[in-house]
This record gives sequence, C-alpha cells and structure tokens, in this order.
Amino acid sequence: MPKLSLMFEGKVVKEVPIGNRPITIGRSPDNDLPVDNLAVSNHHARVYYEGARLVVEDLDSLNGTFVNDLRVERATLHDGDSIHVGKHYVKVDASHDAPVPYDMGRKAAAPAINETMVLDTKVRREMLQQAAAMGERTQFASGRIKVPTIVVLSGSTASKEYVLTNRLTTIGKSTMATVRLTGWFKPQMAAQISQRDDGYYIGPGDKIPTVNGTPIPGPVRLNDGDLIEVCRVRMNFIFRD
Amino acid sequence: MRIFGGGATDVGRVRSNNEDCFRLVQPMNLFVLSDGMGGEAHGEIASALAVETVVKHCMEAETNPAAPFYGNPPDKLSTHAKRLISAVHLANRNIYKSAEEHPEQSGMGATLTAMWIDGNALSVAHVGDSRAYLLRSGMLQQLTSDHSLVAEQVRRGIISATEAEQSDMQSVLLRALGTQPQVEVDSEEQELFPRDVLLLCSDGLTRMVTEPEIAGTLQAETDPQKACERLIVIANENGGADNISVVVVRLENESKSWFSWLRPGGRKHAGSNGSAGGH
Repeated sequence: MPKLSLMFEGKVVKEVPIGNRPITIGRSPDNDLPVDNLAVSNHHARVYYEGARLVVEDLDSLNGTFVNDLRVERATLHDGDSIHVGKHYVKVDASHDAPVPYDMGRKAAAPAINETMVLDTKVRREMLQQAAAMGERTQFASGRIKVPTIVVLSGSTASKEYVLTNRLTTIGKSTMATVRLTGWFKPQMAAQISQRDDGYYIGPGDKIPTVNGTPIPGPVRLNDGDLIEVCRVRMNFIFRD
Repeated sequence: MRIFGGGATDVGRVRSNNEDCFRLVQPMNLFVLSDGMGGEAHGEIASALAVETVVKHCMEAETNPAAPFYGNPPDKLSTHAKRLISAVHLANRNIYKSAEEHPEQSGMGATLTAMWIDGNALSVAHVGDSRAYLLRSGMLQQLTSDHSLVAEQVRRGIISATEAEQSDMQSVLLRALGTQPQVEVDSEEQELFPRDVLLLCSDGLTRMVTEPEIAGTLQAETDPQKACERLIVIANENGGADNISVVVVRLENESKSWFSWLRPGGRKHAGSNGSAGGH
C-alpha cells in the first residue's frame, strides 16, 4: 500500500498508509501526521486519492506547502516526491503495487453511494438525527432560531432595520436593493451580503465596505455584532433571537 | 441590458454516459440545466424530460399567459418566477408519471435549476444539488441551496464545510424531481446589474473545481461559450469524476451612456460583444 513518511533531520518520525480517507498534516495533535513546529499551521495540508491520482492540498496554511521545493495550493503527487511543511518533510512512497483508488474504497465502505440517490423523508430524518448525535457542534440543531438582522446605526436609509431573508442581500440605491440607501450620489449597488451554508458573507459592490474598521475587498464572514460601514452608513449585523 | 449566453456539457473522465441536460432559450432569456439519476439510461430520460417540460411550459405561457399554474406558486412573486415554479412542479409530475408507467424507469430522478431573465429581474427555480451562481464585483455567490444531506448537515452546524467536501455522502440528495408525487421547489428573485455573470452548473463542476477557480475563469474568459468550455477542461483535468454541464450568461449595458467614454474601460464595454473580448 502506498504510504507517507514524516521525516525530520533525515529520520522517519512516523509512517501512515494512504487508504480511503484523506491524510491530514498539521500542528494540532488530531492530524494523521502531527508536526510539532510553530511554522506549521494547525491543519496545514491534506493528501488524498482523487480517482487514481494522489493529490496534496494546502489548507490555507500560513507558511505554505511545498512539493519538491515549489509552493503549491494543490498538486498531483508522484512516487518519490517530498512535501515540505515547516522544517519537516513528508516522503511520498507510491511504488507499492497499484494504489487503492479513493472511489473504489468508497464503494467498498458504502455500496452505491457513489451513484446519486435520494433519501425518502423517513430515512433522511433518521440519518440527520444520527449525524447530529455523532457531531459535537449541534448548537444550531438544538438551539433557538437566530434571525440575521441589519440594524442601521447612522446614515440615510429607507428603513432602520432589515431582516436578511434572501440568499443575496444588496445594499445600494437601487429600488430593488434590500438595504436601500437614500440621498445623493449613492451607488445602485454599494455592497452585498450573501448567505452560504456556513454563515453570512459580506463583499464589495461598487464600493468597498469596512467591517469593524477594516476594508474588505473580498468576501468576509460576518459575526454576530460586526459593525459594517459603507457610503457613510453605519450598520450592525446581529443575530436576533 | 444585453444578454450573452453559452453552454456546454461533457461526459467527464469516469462515467460512460452523460445524464446531464441543459438548454438555452436565448430569445426568452431562459436557461435550464438538469442532472439525471437512475440506472441504465434512465437518468438521461429524467433530465431530458425535466428540461423539456420546463422549456415547453414557459414557452406556452409566453403565448398564453392564462395557462394554468401548477404547485400554487406564491402570489407575491413575479409572473416569471411563478411560471418557473409551476414548470418545475409540472416536470416533477411528468417524470414521476413516466416512472410509474414504465416500471423499468422506477427510481429515476433529476435535479433542476432554471433561470429566467426579464429586463433586470432574475428568477431562479431550483430542486437538487445543481447550482446557480452570480459573479458580481469579483464575488462569486451561490444563489441556490444544495438539497443534499451534507449541505443540510453544514446548515445545521453538524459538520463543517470542509468535512462536507471530504464526505463520502455527497451524492445523497434530500430532494429531486420525479421521486415523489409532490416536490418542494425553491425560488429566488434578484435584481441584475450590468457586468453580472450568471452560472448554472451540475455537481460534476463544483466537486472538481473550487469556487475561486470558477470565479477566476469567469473573469478571465469574457466569451460565455469559451468560459463554459474552459471550466469543463479544468474539471476534467482535476479528475472529471462525473458528468459536467455549464451554462454561463453575461449581462452588459445596452446603451452607451453619455458619459461612458469617461469610465475606464467604458468604451471597450460599449463596443464589445461576447466574442470581441477574448484574449
């Protein structure tokens, strides 16, 4: 079976076989290959099979992942490659007979799940409950329903409070904008808030908004209580009970 | 606004048949995409039937606005949004009926994601795990929620988005057309602005190509058809584990504003169409 060997100063520190599950590399002890070095991020990179290809993927680490000294975000691995994280390196040994493709492993573990299937309502409820029981982060499942709300603190808008009900909320002068700016020289679409599965993200439109005083040129996840400012309108993003 | 659309589909590198289906009805600015499932060739039947039904129902409604609405779409929505929802309900009914009449088709189903643009108003109707995206000001935003088990688990905070990407349950859908006599249809209405780019795609794209890669490609390739083809190439390079279908729609300002020559790039925008911007 192909394997990864974590090396430090020429010695093998740990070896793991590469099977169906992704191998994680990082500083935190819950990784398959824990690397105790401050230059390494908690969850630094992962290695897994995609079809028959072995792939390494950097998990937005601070100092980067290097394959044969080239910094990569994602790269296909070959036998003998070395992955550098901090001062350690991981040797790729894919020479041992044919690798077990990730997909084949999945089929063996859970037949037919590779094919798209639809759950009927009863099975679905059971599966979600099971998953909830296994997961630790169940605060959303059991807690009160929180309503994402924009409260206007200062500046001219059509209303003082907006509940975010759509996948996409626009802030601007347009008559169809959710948070409607009033007054002269305001852009039609100043900024936008989009709902994703894991939360709400604000991003620029014709203007670059600030969140808690920091300008944000790209999407940033909003947290309860964040202060948003765009076009001299100050708003609070809060989750109402 | 001027609207340019393109679309492409590919079997991918692993599957032997293509169960995806899409249609661009350019004169109506209607864009429909479906990903079928079911053994043998039945996934193909389901997705083709889904797309066919939606297009036909919307076209009929254009000539006969009094045509009946299926599935009681809410009154507060625009006519286009209501018509799309109605069309998706009808598609569900047709696939379900076909599977009942032909026992060998039993278990077939399809996702469906459709967009209809009317002036600057976008209506989206959606069931399943195909996706609609909007690229605006460099930000790629998903306009639809995946009706998959893992997406539901992320929404409930049971697993993280990263865990969902690694899960081997990604193919498990909670909702699809044709598997139940009734279906719940999601809908969304949005205002569109010049330079917006819309994307419809099957999960064969989104499981193989990351959102930053998608956004980058849509920004770099201004011709919608070429953008579709490029996205398919990337998905195949990354493994092509499933069928890949992509529809890209670009919106541009209709008339040259009086001051457009003042804006950086204003002239280029006013004069270019879908094919002139390629580089």
